Amino acid sequence: MSDHEPRVLGFLCNWCSYAGADLAGTSRIQYPPNIRIIRVPCSGRVDPLLVIKAFERGFDGVLVSGCHPGDCHYTQGNYYARRRLAILRDLLEFIGIEGDRFRVEWVSAAEGQRFARIVADFVMRLKELGPRR
Amino acid sequence: MEEIRAKAIELLRSGEVKCFIGYERASDGLTARPFFAYSADDAGRLIFDRTCAHNLARYLPDMRGQRVAILVKPCDSRSVNVLIQEGQVNREEVYVVGVVCDGVYKASWGQPSQELEARCLYCSRRVPVVYDHLIGQPPASEPQTPASIPEVEALERRSAKERWEFWRSHFARCIRCNACRQICPACYCPQCFSDQLDPLWTGIRIGLPQNWVWNVGRALHLAGRCADCGGCERACPMGIPLAALNRKLAGRVKELFGFEAGLDPRAPFPFATFKKEEVL
Repeated sequence: MSDHEPRVLGFLCNWCSYAGADLAGTSRIQYPPNIRIIRVPCSGRVDPLLVIKAFERGFDGVLVSGCHPGDCHYTQGNYYARRRLAILRDLLEFIGIEGDRFRVEWVSAAEGQRFARIVADFVMRLKELGPRR
Repeated sequence: MEEIRAKAIELLRSGEVKCFIGYERASDGLTARPFFAYSADDAGRLIFDRTCAHNLARYLPDMRGQRVAILVKPCDSRSVNVLIQEGQVNREEVYVVGVVCDGVYKASWGQPSQELEARCLYCSRRVPVVYDHLIGQPPASEPQTPASIPEVEALERRSAKERWEFWRSHFARCIRCNACRQICPACYCPQCFSDQLDPLWTGIRIGLPQNWVWNVGRALHLAGRCADCGGCERACPMGIPLAALNRKLAGRVKELFGFEAGLDPRAPFPFATFKKEEVL
């Protein structure tokens, strides 16, 4: 356990996870302030290069979060994202970025509590892992 | 050799193709280089032996709109299929001459090499997957595919930190000459992401972070598309083990999606399709 404060970048889909994060906020649920959020139209918008870029810029962890499979606002964006991000995780793992530094979660607009827990867990895990380089 | 020349002469004389893409002996007298035969006279210069390592499929997108013949080894034939699958090549425009291949030699400078390319040691194909005419005797059975690739497995056994250091030391040496991109049949984008200025994906400087984005980004773009011809690693002047990245991803794409690049040009591309029930 280090006292280093990890920096997390979150790509949240506009329709579910961003609303979920918003709900966590309006419900005054406490979660670590280590996450910076970028709102995207859909998890399918998240080009794996964006994640690579985030790691290059020194983020300790990246969270991609979208609607639950089956609930995509665009019917299938998250199914495509799921495949792309699965292969991305393997690649990151292979070049030495621990799989735990990259999370893909499905959070609905009603799951403010769950969003807060995911971020808290993620930050805790990143603290265990310590700084990236 | 004779058979290839005879076939090329036949194709060029009959006007069936405008050009026969093959190999000729390079000026050092030892290695081979790509050669474009436009006439029966040219065809006399064609060769094929264990020095013919280039993946000639690279030239097909540039020849669109005319009928050409191309000489392919099994790995190259998969690249041809990838290009057909992605709509870069019309199957009707290409006459594919396949050669039965039992491996090519490593690149060498100034002296003959007798060592097989790494990829050929575990290659499980002797016969091209697509051809209109086959040269050579197909073996009774194809060799067994190894369960894993030694270099990839060796890296997987190390810790994440060690892997990070390993790739960092390699990517730090990258001079971003783009030889890997230029030699790759799957790299035909009119504008590569690394040439884009907005967004500036890789950055201008030749430095570690920029090189890292470039090499990782390229590996990612080849997932499910790389035929493992080893051209990038061969072309790299800094000796970066690029093929290991591609092999790792090819292995994963096979495990996760049951897809191998270039076996079937009509198969849906793994990242352009999905299964609702899959768990990833």
